[in-house]
Amino acid sequence: MKNLNLKKDIERRFFLLSSLKGISFGVLSWRLFDLQVIENKKYDKLSKNNQFNFSLVIPERGEIYDRKGRVLAANRDAFSLYIKSSQNLNLNKILDKLLLVTNLNEEDLDNFKNRYKNLKKNNLNVFITDNLSQRDISKIAVRLHEFPEVNFLMTKKRVYPQGKITSHLIGYTGKLTEQDLKKNKNLINFSNLRIGKYGLEKFFDNKLRGEFGRRREEVNAKGKILTSNLYEKPNPGKNLKLSIDLNIQSYALTRLQNLNSKISKFNEPETGSVVVMNVNTGELACCVSSPNFNPNIFTRGIKSKEWKSLINNKKAPLLNRAVSGLYPPGSTIKMAVALAALESGVIGYDTKFFCNGVKEYGDMKFHCWQKYGHGNINLSQAIERSCDVFFYELGLKVGIEKIGLMLKKLGLDANINLELNELRKGLVPSKKWKLDVKGSKWTPGETINASIGQGYMLSNPIELVTMVARIANSELSVEPTLLSGKTKKFTKLDINKNHINYIKNSMSNVVNSELGTAYKSKLQIKNFKMAGKTGTVQVVRISEDEREKGIIKNKDREWEKRDHALFVGYAPLEKPKYSICVIVEHGGSGSTIAAPIAKDVMEKLLV
Amino acid sequence: MFFYNNKFYKPDSILKKLLKIDWFLLFLVLILCIIGIGALYSAGDGNLNPWAINHIYKIILGFLIIFILSQFNINFIMNFSVVLYVFCILCLVYVIYFGVGDVKRWINLKYFFFQPSELAKISIILLLAKFFTYYPNNSKNFLYNIFAIFLVLIPGFLIVNQPDLGTGSMLILLGFAIIFVNGLSWNIISSIALVSLISLPIIWQNLLEYQKYRILVFLNPELDTLGKGYQIMQSKIAIGSGGIFGKGFLTGSQSRLDFLPEKHTDFVFTLVSEEMGFIGSMLVLILYFIINIILIREFLKEENVTNKILIFGVSFLIFLYIFFNVGMVTGLIPVVGAPLPFISNGGTSLITIFIGLGVIQSIRVSRNV
Repeated sequence: MKNLNLKKDIERRFFLLSSLKGISFGVLSWRLFDLQVIENKKYDKLSKNNQFNFSLVIPERGEIYDRKGRVLAANRDAFSLYIKSSQNLNLNKILDKLLLVTNLNEEDLDNFKNRYKNLKKNNLNVFITDNLSQRDISKIAVRLHEFPEVNFLMTKKRVYPQGKITSHLIGYTGKLTEQDLKKNKNLINFSNLRIGKYGLEKFFDNKLRGEFGRRREEVNAKGKILTSNLYEKPNPGKNLKLSIDLNIQSYALTRLQNLNSKISKFNEPETGSVVVMNVNTGELACCVSSPNFNPNIFTRGIKSKEWKSLINNKKAPLLNRAVSGLYPPGSTIKMAVALAALESGVIGYDTKFFCNGVKEYGDMKFHCWQKYGHGNINLSQAIERSCDVFFYELGLKVGIEKIGLMLKKLGLDANINLELNELRKGLVPSKKWKLDVKGSKWTPGETINASIGQGYMLSNPIELVTMVARIANSELSVEPTLLSGKTKKFTKLDINKNHINYIKNSMSNVVNSELGTAYKSKLQIKNFKMAGKTGTVQVVRISEDEREKGIIKNKDREWEKRDHALFVGYAPLEKPKYSICVIVEHGGSGSTIAAPIAKDVMEKLLV
Repeated sequence: MFFYNNKFYKPDSILKKLLKIDWFLLFLVLILCIIGIGALYSAGDGNLNPWAINHIYKIILGFLIIFILSQFNINFIMNFSVVLYVFCILCLVYVIYFGVGDVKRWINLKYFFFQPSELAKISIILLLAKFFTYYPNNSKNFLYNIFAIFLVLIPGFLIVNQPDLGTGSMLILLGFAIIFVNGLSWNIISSIALVSLISLPIIWQNLLEYQKYRILVFLNPELDTLGKGYQIMQSKIAIGSGGIFGKGFLTGSQSRLDFLPEKHTDFVFTLVSEEMGFIGSMLVLILYFIINIILIREFLKEENVTNKILIFGVSFLIFLYIFFNVGMVTGLIPVVGAPLPFISNGGTSLITIFIGLGVIQSIRVSRNV
């Protein structure tokens, strides 16, 4: 009986445990269903994340050529150094060892350490540097077996074969920074990416950069790469063909920087700018700014010392004077004032004013550059000899508003669509501007100053060369461009042809008439003649006291207080092709310093 | 000899005995073994070497053990229960001093590594069955039960001390389950529960760091996704990414790329789940479930209390293996280290289960129907 009870008890308890087993099977089945069916997507993603490492493939950056196909910016093969991240890597030990073999830039090292710290995944190649000399590379390569975590990858490095000659135009690339990412949301955060930071490299960054490809690597748990293939091909960046002619660019630069140093007692290169523009197409044949810099130092990684010397240099070599150097245009805008007068009908071709060397207005005296005056002269003569008093009278007759409108029509303080982010608009003052910005009323004295391009008025060389190009073209509002073969429809200039021809004739006299201010700089080649206008811009006001004591000669003044030398012009006379603007900062007079440079560059262009 | 003492006993011929074996059960076991061979073939990256071929040998050996044990009367086998138990205890003491492996679980027998803790599981079933046969009517007796519990705890603690928390706790659970089924009074159960609840902090303190860590990581796998939690996480990823139909034979990325730890032993179920999907993993679970049902039927058919306990013990042992293993790889319980019957390439554990099945076949064959 007892035995039977025991058996029943055992069976009861057996059933208890058996049902427990059944429940357990149920739980396990549910768990599997949960993992494999319900949460499948999540785990599938995690599994793929385990299996594959995707890495971006940088597209090859587009190259930049001059109008004749000469390389201005290209890519050269280079090696980049990487460290493969892993869980228990003694980073400092490896880096110390690596530093014994090769030199690494401190900045690169710091950046690398940051990148390494912020890694979200293991077994990735973390970029250290691509600033390795051939010697460094071979040194590491020989001892690579000592650094199992270190490896090389082939990359491309940006080079600028023309170096300083095209520095401001082409600009340079630099490493992607946090700020770049904030500014441009379309950028992909990629440690080794370089983006355009200046010049055309910056303006056309998107076009030049191309599109990223993706590489897919199958990796095992130990980080060993089993297969690696290009998942998406990168799209190389587009090439740029510039309107710039390297020969002219290089000639103009040398001419600007060196030839004048015979006159100057400084051995430093002259500062200034030479811009040449095709008056029919707007293509810029040269766009020179001096002093300049070597863009290649940005590629290899600029040292902070070099950067500081560039930044702290008083002559600002990083400034592209051709597009962002703002100068009072001086007498170079006299044609525009004359056109404004002719168009508004306040004077005729024969209207004469008398110049005795000074114009008195109220209690103020406005002097002509010619102390003893030009006598009774008409408009053409006034332009030819750059008479200031004539233009004082003219300016007062026309008024600042009409002068301003004409200047803007010719390109000053206008929206010029040049392919450079560095472009800075000039300033053509008006009554409204004076009231808004300065908070006071416009005075006639300011009109007098403005009519010879002094006072508030500012412009950059690009604007001046555009102004001359429009006058030379006579029909269209040409706009400057740095790209070659860019066909653009220009709007009509809408200025009376006769008036323009009259002005053009006067400009011709400036260079070709014996009394012209630039007569010494007339072209010495057959069949070609140049027209132009000189400008000498006062930097400091000359007081009446100083004037009576006798003006100190330009070259005896401190460099910063000397006059700017300007010249604008075009050639050839009959069928204008090129307009030119030369500015030599603190160079002296326009006729002796700027005009000869223009003459030489034009001769080079036309021969 | 022993089995001729009974004059009513007519020994069957070998063939007749073999026919009495539960061939359906063996067929199910064979299917699981074949799944195991396939999984190990895949774990070896499509090679029979090193695991699949080894598994085949062990399976052949296992079936031989079943056939051989089925030839013996169960009473004869039971004669060895005490000897086997003592032998296991000696071996467990031996491994403390001469064991191999970083946690000293194995005895090097030149041709294979022998893990006494696995054999101890079978021996505890046999010993307890024997013990309850000799003292069948004392299940309410306190001292009697305490003695039985001690019989379980001696090897249990030896194993936990190796340290092998998984195997040790499995053995203790198995022993307790058998004592419980035999009729341990609820009073004793509640007092033991109370004592263990009080002693829990003491046990916790005596656990080794890595054991504590495993439990902590189990409770919160996020604690350490690159250390111990890594195994659980990778295993879950593999199972989960298998989906309904799996990634296909030989194409499980998690196992192929070595993200699965111990994919040929404790984590073999993960590999099956990844490559064969929910369908494959459920097939395996259902096969185990049917085997359990068969063993329940065997239990109910059996009249003899000793044999009933034996059948229960073996079936519960198989269940524990499955629950520990699948529970572990799916992240339900801590990573304790338990092989999956018939599929994992574990040496002694596989043989242990085959011995268990052999004992049950012996009971079946010995039955006079």
